[in-house]
Amino acid sequence: MNAMAPATNAGATMRPAPIIEARGLQRYFNVNGKRLTVFDGLSCAVQQGGFLSIVGPSGCGKSTLLKLISGLDRPNGGEILFRGKPVTGPADGMIYVFQQYTKSIFPWRTVIQNIEFGLASHKSLPRAQAREKCMEYVKLVGLDGYENHYPYQLSGGMQQRVVIARAMICEPAVLLMDEPFSAVDALTRALLQELVLKIWSDIKFTVLFVTHDVEEAVFLSSQIISLTKAPATIHENVAIDLPYPRDQIATRADPRFTDFRQRLFSSIFLQEKGIAPDDLKTIRSK
Amino acid sequence: MRRRWPGFLLIAVLLLAWEISSARGWIDPITFPRISVIFDSWLRTVWTTGDLTRQLLPSLGRIFSGFALACVVAIPLGLLMGSVSFVYRLLEPITEFIRPIPSSAYIPVAILFLGIGNEMKIFVVFLACCFPILLNTYGGVRGVDPVLIDTGRTFGVSKLTAARQIILPAAMPSILTGMRISLGIALIVAVVAEMITGNSGIGYFILDMQRVFRVPEMFAGIFTLGLLGFLINFVFLKIESHFLRWRGTSVEA
Ligand SMILES: Nc1ncnc2c1ncn2[C@@H]1O[C@H](COP(=O)(O)OP(=O)(O)OP(=O)(O)O)[C@@H](O)[C@H]1O
Ligand SMILES: [Mg+2]
Repeated sequence: MNAMAPATNAGATMRPAPIIEARGLQRYFNVNGKRLTVFDGLSCAVQQGGFLSIVGPSGCGKSTLLKLISGLDRPNGGEILFRGKPVTGPADGMIYVFQQYTKSIFPWRTVIQNIEFGLASHKSLPRAQAREKCMEYVKLVGLDGYENHYPYQLSGGMQQRVVIARAMICEPAVLLMDEPFSAVDALTRALLQELVLKIWSDIKFTVLFVTHDVEEAVFLSSQIISLTKAPATIHENVAIDLPYPRDQIATRADPRFTDFRQRLFSSIFLQEKGIAPDDLKTIRSK
Repeated sequence: MRRRWPGFLLIAVLLLAWEISSARGWIDPITFPRISVIFDSWLRTVWTTGDLTRQLLPSLGRIFSGFALACVVAIPLGLLMGSVSFVYRLLEPITEFIRPIPSSAYIPVAILFLGIGNEMKIFVVFLACCFPILLNTYGGVRGVDPVLIDTGRTFGVSKLTAARQIILPAAMPSILTGMRISLGIALIVAVVAEMITGNSGIGYFILDMQRVFRVPEMFAGIFTLGLLGFLINFVFLKIESHFLRWRGTSVEA
């Protein structure tokens, strides 16, 4: 369970201490008087500068894991280390992008004011300079011309981009993104994937990315963890050693890309259908 | 405004019916003078002699001082009750107990402590205004979506910043609703207080006109109250839709 994938980003040969480490995480919820065990001793590690995706079936605990790591939620047992120090509350240097972007956006702030909130929470710049920087991010997520719109005047995908820009402008050490592209069309999604990869390679922060889309995970990630149904365990932990920068056309056409996607998908799919691990091994070694 | 014309037409028809019924003696013209007579004395008391206008100002003063005081006290208290669960558990039962008492029932007590002057009336208005504002404020705060609060937490903003920049604006629609309810109540309570005691204000004017049997003037006062309530609400709705323009629910555009 304590599997750790080799750092693949930039082809590092020496592996430094992980930026995030989860040790024996336990998390229970009380649902109608019954105890729901989401994690019962989950461990994993994230390398500095990595792009780690977490995939798994709906309700398996992906959001919960991300919240525990961010410090927004506290585990019932075990611990999270961020840069070697235990996380006891919302950690400075980590920003969580909520799955429920419609609830996370500030409806009383315009697009640019929403993004400005992120900036102001981490830097105090002179007004003109702050505005310029915000506009930069407005453009980056393709919302120029909409900077003075209120969220109710935007589509779901546009709102999601606002929320992403608000988080990225903080230039956090770790960006935790919970299904950030779930509400956008395929084309916007492809553009946003490239955007996030570009900013990730420019700023060199660590990304934890939750998605239920295996293909998206393979395209983006340097490492993928797949979780099983609750109580969640790590089912797969795969290093995706496709070269960066990745390209929507070229990378997706790469036979290794198809191979990764195929292998991961069938493994997750068969596991979900309840095929015993022994059968899996034969399928996997095929 | 254009879509409202059927409503205004109905008012005109009713007034006309009143006018005719009174003129023909279908209703007692002493208790229900003709509308034209009422309008005439309205014009007189408002413009020519200014008797009514003079009484309007003290009433407005009481309403707005009591209301403003209630805002100053109840909004911060509501924010506190909404965000600190200990304060909520401490104060919620007592508010729930005091709240159902009709505000006019405080008047005798208020007279005991504050006499029959302006202070008493402002105090009663203040007290009556407090509860809707308080309830709606803490209700609004408690109703703020946890995702919004967690958003503030993940950005690492201080509690104070979160209160100012997240909780307050998120609870604003609810707070404004409380304020609008309070304004309506303020008008009622001020008039009742003026009728019970005192020698000024529109409530006093109405009762006084009734006592000396100047019925048209009495009706002029009552209609003025209706107009006043309408205007206050209208202005407040304008202010409200300005503050809540981000909701985009208004049909104007
Ligand atoms: N606050 C909570 N109270 C009770 N149960 C909870 C709470 N949060 C999560 N759960 C439960 O924990 C489990 C995991 O939830 P989680 O939101 O982490 O799933 P997920 O993997 O993100 O699913 P999805 O892909 O649908 O977003 C679910 O069964 C959910 O019902
Ligand atoms: Mg989720």
